[in-house]
Amino acid sequence: MGRAFSILIAIGLLPLLADTTVSAAEIPALFRTPRRPALPIVKNRTWVRTPIDTFILARLEAEGLTPSSPADKERLLRRVTFDLTGLPPTLAEQEAFLADTSPDAYRKVVERLLASPRYGERWAQHWLDLVRYAESDGFKADDLRPAAHRYRDYVVRALNADVPYDRFLRQQIAGDELEPDNPDALVATGFLRLWPDEYNAANLEQRRQEILDDVTDVTGQVFLGLTLGCARCHDHKFDPIAQTDYFRLQAFFAPMRTRDDLPAANEKERNEYQRRLDDWQKASAAIRAEMDKLLADKRRAHRQSALGKFRAEIQQAVLTPDEKRTPYQRHIALIAEKQLQTPDANLAKTLPADKKKAYERLEKQLAALPMPRPEPLPSAMAATDAGLDTPPTFLLAGGDWRKPREELQPGFPMVLDTSKPDIRTNKERKTTGRRSALARWMTRNDNPLTARVAVNRLWQHHFGTGIVASSGDFGAMGEAPTHPELLDWLAVEFVSHGWSIKHMHRLMVLSAAYRQDSRVDAASPAGVAARRVDADNRLLWHARRRRLEGEALRDAMLALSGELSPRMFGPSARPKLPANISKYAWKPDAAPQDRHRRSIYVLAKRNMRYPLFDAFDLPDMHNCCSRRLNTTTSPQALLLLNGDFALERGQRLAEVLSERCGDNDARLVAEAYRLAWGRRATKEEIELGTRFLKQRSEELRTSKHGDRGSQDRAAVVADFCHALLNTNEFLFVD
Amino acid sequence: MSQSIVASGGHKPPDASFPHRVMAHSRRDFLSRTGGGLGMLALLDLLQRDADGNESTATNPAAARAPILPARAKSVIWCFLDGGPSHIDLFDPKPALTKLDGKPLPPSFKRPVTAMGRTAHTPLLASKRRFQQHGQSGLWVSDWYPHLAGCVDDIAMLHGCWADGLNHVGSVCQMNTGSILGGRPCLGSWALYGLGSLSENLPGYVVLLDYPEDPPGGARNWSTGFMPSTFQGTRFRDGGTPILHLKPSDATAGGQRAKLDFVQELNRRHLAERREDHDLEARIASYELAYRMQSAATEAVDLARETRETQSLYGLDEKTTERVGRNCLLARRLVERGVRYVQLYCGSGSKWDAHRNVEGNHARYCRESDKPIAGLLRDLKRRGLLDSTLVVWGGEFGRTPMSESGDGRDHNPYGFTAWLAGGGVRGGVRHGATDELGLYAIDGRVHVHDLHATILYCLGLDHRKLILPFNGRDERATINGGHVIREVLKKAPTISS
Repeated sequence: MGRAFSILIAIGLLPLLADTTVSAAEIPALFRTPRRPALPIVKNRTWVRTPIDTFILARLEAEGLTPSSPADKERLLRRVTFDLTGLPPTLAEQEAFLADTSPDAYRKVVERLLASPRYGERWAQHWLDLVRYAESDGFKADDLRPAAHRYRDYVVRALNADVPYDRFLRQQIAGDELEPDNPDALVATGFLRLWPDEYNAANLEQRRQEILDDVTDVTGQVFLGLTLGCARCHDHKFDPIAQTDYFRLQAFFAPMRTRDDLPAANEKERNEYQRRLDDWQKASAAIRAEMDKLLADKRRAHRQSALGKFRAEIQQAVLTPDEKRTPYQRHIALIAEKQLQTPDANLAKTLPADKKKAYERLEKQLAALPMPRPEPLPSAMAATDAGLDTPPTFLLAGGDWRKPREELQPGFPMVLDTSKPDIRTNKERKTTGRRSALARWMTRNDNPLTARVAVNRLWQHHFGTGIVASSGDFGAMGEAPTHPELLDWLAVEFVSHGWSIKHMHRLMVLSAAYRQDSRVDAASPAGVAARRVDADNRLLWHARRRRLEGEALRDAMLALSGELSPRMFGPSARPKLPANISKYAWKPDAAPQDRHRRSIYVLAKRNMRYPLFDAFDLPDMHNCCSRRLNTTTSPQALLLLNGDFALERGQRLAEVLSERCGDNDARLVAEAYRLAWGRRATKEEIELGTRFLKQRSEELRTSKHGDRGSQDRAAVVADFCHALLNTNEFLFVD
Repeated sequence: MSQSIVASGGHKPPDASFPHRVMAHSRRDFLSRTGGGLGMLALLDLLQRDADGNESTATNPAAARAPILPARAKSVIWCFLDGGPSHIDLFDPKPALTKLDGKPLPPSFKRPVTAMGRTAHTPLLASKRRFQQHGQSGLWVSDWYPHLAGCVDDIAMLHGCWADGLNHVGSVCQMNTGSILGGRPCLGSWALYGLGSLSENLPGYVVLLDYPEDPPGGARNWSTGFMPSTFQGTRFRDGGTPILHLKPSDATAGGQRAKLDFVQELNRRHLAERREDHDLEARIASYELAYRMQSAATEAVDLARETRETQSLYGLDEKTTERVGRNCLLARRLVERGVRYVQLYCGSGSKWDAHRNVEGNHARYCRESDKPIAGLLRDLKRRGLLDSTLVVWGGEFGRTPMSESGDGRDHNPYGFTAWLAGGGVRGGVRHGATDELGLYAIDGRVHVHDLHATILYCLGLDHRKLILPFNGRDERATINGGHVIREVLKKAPTISS
């Protein structure tokens, strides 16, 4: 579909497209509003379970391919459980599913999984990859962002509650404007705050531009599947996105400022807090005034010194009274302000001894007041508008902030929509309405990209590859869809079902296409033929085997050993780290139940990547990641073979199994396999395991230590369990 | 999927452009590979490698392969002076600065934006160092670097370097990745991506720190950004186990092979029903490599195997120089064993960042690094390794001629010195210049991208053709810039691939 456009560009038509209305024939198919196609006619109608299957099967039949047989119940359960919750099925869940012979047994499992809170914890990670979520600034200081986890929690909750995707999008782009009384919506604007940040950047004008670029790029990629970054410096070489489109889109974000002081609380809570705060402020006014007086000189001096670091233009922006500032000066001053403030406690440390003593005395008096200062409400890491007037947005030559060209107004990419945005300023709330206009446009039922991009991402996670394989690039440099009608059908279905994500999960995982076996007999005539036609399995003649991500791998180990903490939400978990790993290392949580929470709650620190996740292809947390890489390296092997985490899980699992199975090797081995692999092992496999136990026991008995009885037994069983955690069958899902 | 490479690429010899373009015949090819199929790159470590190149590299994108241009160097050792060494106190003498000591920056100079802001207005600070010309080439070196002064005839000085960042983290990031913003692969990763590793049992890209502190930004400085982690740098740690988790804990050491054999037996049975899946095979192989690496890496870091004379050449017998000396010697041993790219940080954790007391600060870190780096050059040379090893000396920026806090200097990304030696570089050459005060690069300007382009060129890679498609763009190590500094290169390649 991109071919036509390359030609247009080659013959110099692109500028025309950008500046005039685009004629329909020239618009790439994916940039046109999808219409629900009729279901194709297939021969093997008995195979079809959901409408999806007709599209898949029609294509297979056209190519002379046949789908694989269905996966057996154990493999299907393991697959769907990992897919929807990121965890392995428990023994009880395996038993129950095997025992349930009713025709809707599988459907019941799917409903159970979708209703589980574990579902949101699993799927939130996919979303956090996209929005390059992290809880620290990156750069040198890599300061923690104490309120960032509320955004993560918001995503988990929204997914669990099946918040319609259009609303989910609108809350993240403009929750502050659209749902001003909803604390969740304010937290959702954290999406606009996830860029890496340098707390002491000296060049604030460049910094502001970098932030705007980042927000524009990520918004385009996450929601629209467009790689806009190219158009920052020049008209896109391959997509019909002009440089003017880029900056018009950027103009929607131009009024935006950051806020870290807004409480993530409802009106009642806010009023209650304000009342108590007012009381406390009244009671403490005299003491605080004295404290302020003591600090006043220091504060002034610190501010002066911090301000001196900036160029004259920036200093002037700061020093100009707000009502006289240009909108641009206001924005620059707001960014500068963060570097000009010093916390009182730090200032107090620099006081001369006598004043310091006086200050400390006042601090004590303050603490001794009968009414303590009310606990602050949880704050949101939020974005709002800085006011009603907005700095102008210019087309920047080469994307360079020092080279402004013509001024541009907010607008959509011309190839998608040439209409003027419906921007409704809210004077009372001092907000421009620009981001709301963009959010409303992106979630219009006829927006050609939003729904397609979203369902394609869901598809990718269930089937291993998107219908558009380049799920972050729906442009000409991306891949053409393998099943364009199916993509359109899904997009229309999504919108007409109220943008329900869970509805789409159901359609996908209940399909016959999803339920196929992943094992193919490559040597059989059918296998050879199929591989000749479609070696990549793009047409889905079998299911794709996938390796667990680092997060799922950790969770699965903890689940097996019975140590996984079910606690949801709140400040992040700090698991153990190898000694002396980095100056950015965190102090691990003392209590195992804190350390052993699910991976989604592990502190996401840009400069201290949790080693297990890092080794298993954690995205870099700076760029939007639509699709993770999947590498196999020897450091991964070292980590699982020699690292403490896997060893300890093996030991704990051994204890659990020994307690349950005692000296019954065969039973112990069988249960271990079942936990790790989600299936009943063969007799041969059980014999292999028992033989390993016997041989290792024998080796230990005859070793230089001599027979150490129960200690040896524990070590041998731990070795066995640890070995299972290293097997391919544990790490891969059929 | 990975399968497609084997099925379609088969065992024919790789396309000539292979290392540069990952052989993507089409967009679809590439994506299918990056998507499910990085299991293929995976094979990085894994497939048996044939030193004569008999193993088809078509199945192993990260196996060693011939560069496309005539290669000057096989390996790179970058001595990274972390924090920003003062060029005007080391290699770039400025008599005019001595004359203007204590005076403000003359109005004829454009006032720069500086990290500390006010240093644009502080008095100039003369260098207290004594400079002399050395060797046959007569390059200038200050009395802080007496040992390196004896090596100048092997060195090409780049006096006109400049960079974009003002603060450490952005600037160190740019020196490694080309951009002051995080998220891009570093140069070592690009080198591995383009050339693969020559070592079967060691990581192809190794990072060494001399102090416990990380350079600003930490592991991001050797990570791969959007490139597969297969190509990332491995930080060697102090002591006998240089790689994280290299050794099993004592409790399990005895049974490790037995356990591994059991794992592999289960894995092979699992594979038997899934023969078409190369990711599974790759994982089986990765365990064997990991097992071999346990002894290979331990052997590589065992400096006791070196003679006393060699150890002392690097200053291992002196407390001041031991720290950097060990890393320099280790770097040579790694390069000998086929490691492609070694980055050793001297003064890791911004130690050269002399905002005050540049005299005291630099005297110390020069003493620590002088003899070891000179020892490295001499040792490489006498072993015949200097021709195939490019040694780079440089930090993230230089320092200002304007003073800070009276006796310190601020960051100066506008003009500074880096140097190259070996690896096909002409020795005893000066290239480029800063102005009379050492503030701005005015002649023979070398941007970070130019430096990177030149390093890749020495390795036989064309920075314009070494491409990785990502998020809709063909990404390069040098982003959209970079010119090879041919003036400092020998005409004919000195080594054959």
